[in-house]
Amino acid sequence: MVLDVWSLVAIFEILVFLVAFPLLLFGWLMGEKGRDPIRDAPFESGQTRLGEARQRYMMQYYPYLIMFIAFDVVAMFLFTWGLAFLTVSLTQNYLFLIFIVVLIAPLAYALYLSGKREFW
Amino acid sequence: MTSLILPAPQEIVNLAVRIITSRTFFEVVFFPGFLNVMLSAAFLTWLERKVLARVQLRIGPLYAGPSGILQPIADGVKLMFKQMIFPELADMKLLMLCALGLMLLAFAPAVAIPFGEGLVIANMDVGLVYVFAVMSLFPSVILLIGWGSNSKYPFLGGLRSLFQQVAYEVPMWLSVLGIVMMTGTLNLTKIVEAQQRLWFVIPQILGFAVFFTAALAELERTPFDLPEAESELVMGWMTELTGPAFMLGFLAMYAKLYIMSALITTLFLGGWSGFGFVPQPVWFVLKTFIVASVIIIIRGAFPRVRVDILLRAGWTRLLLLALANIFVTVALIISGLGWVWRI
Repeated sequence: MVLDVWSLVAIFEILVFLVAFPLLLFGWLMGEKGRDPIRDAPFESGQTRLGEARQRYMMQYYPYLIMFIAFDVVAMFLFTWGLAFLTVSLTQNYLFLIFIVVLIAPLAYALYLSGKREFW
Repeated sequence: MTSLILPAPQEIVNLAVRIITSRTFFEVVFFPGFLNVMLSAAFLTWLERKVLARVQLRIGPLYAGPSGILQPIADGVKLMFKQMIFPELADMKLLMLCALGLMLLAFAPAVAIPFGEGLVIANMDVGLVYVFAVMSLFPSVILLIGWGSNSKYPFLGGLRSLFQQVAYEVPMWLSVLGIVMMTGTLNLTKIVEAQQRLWFVIPQILGFAVFFTAALAELERTPFDLPEAESELVMGWMTELTGPAFMLGFLAMYAKLYIMSALITTLFLGGWSGFGFVPQPVWFVLKTFIVASVIIIIRGAFPRVRVDILLRAGWTRLLLLALANIFVTVALIISGLGWVWRI
């Protein structure tokens, strides 16, 4: 009986699930229920809780997120090229090297902008 | 109607015997599979405590078993029976689901990694992409844990985890591009076979340096352990996890350390290849634990970096080194050295 690759992955994951899930289930079923305002307070170094945790935080690293969205796709394209590197002719490969060199210019400008913290 | 009739008990027994004695069952449950990752992760928690203790001139765990080697099992049993306390306003179901999800994600890449010639659970053609894809889901789950616990330390830890991914993900991808270019495949078994003459750590030394640094960030280990910075964020995103949920999260992190070391071994250190009469899996596990020990010693030796320094370094130094590595690789390939790593 030969199983294909993804069903083997599924079998493995089901095995992990079958081991991990009962731990959580029994921990929850057997454990003591009921609320205690002091015990259940979120940990804030022994202080009383100040407001919710789900509030707005400063996003001073926002430009890096934008760069990530832009250049992650480029990394994917480069990966497909790298896979075909040995089969594609050399002149076409040089085109991709030029593409990488061209890529450095917008990258450098984005880095220059993200370094200016007062913009963000 | 025949399909509705249950098979005879003898047939069920025969089927069970056939499944249990099959090679696939052994691979999934024992060696490259579940127990291997589980026990290695437990061993790594002990190794980490012991090595860090030696770095800090302490002794470390001592009493449970010879030099405390049974300490992880004692800890596991203790955590298993602890009460699960969730903070008020926390999303309890989400937290439990995420702890479970971390465990599933941490073990998933193990199926694609070859521990010996043909000793791999699922020999997939997209093994490298599969491993990266599964690994890149971690920060999202960690952010969900931070969101679900509705407590400030875990939430800050989750946000840091996400920013950290932004810093290391692209250089990490580009650093292995050299290997993909040289071998022309994403199959991890074929990548190991291409290293029979020369380990990729030598022609790909730049890529190795970038990948190792990015792997430290991916594993959230010092110097990049921002999401669980003990001295700033108590326990980071794990602060509000308790009992079995904490155990799953903790085990997942060490399983990830083991699998990442195995991936570094596979990609750069020749995988299972060794010399002498020692079997291939022994070589592989030995190399993996050496890599893991280096990662652990780094934790004892380096201070933590700041978030902005990590982001800046990831996008300037690491990314530029990874791009330079592509040019070095092209030069190597067109210089006619290709026969060295031809399969």
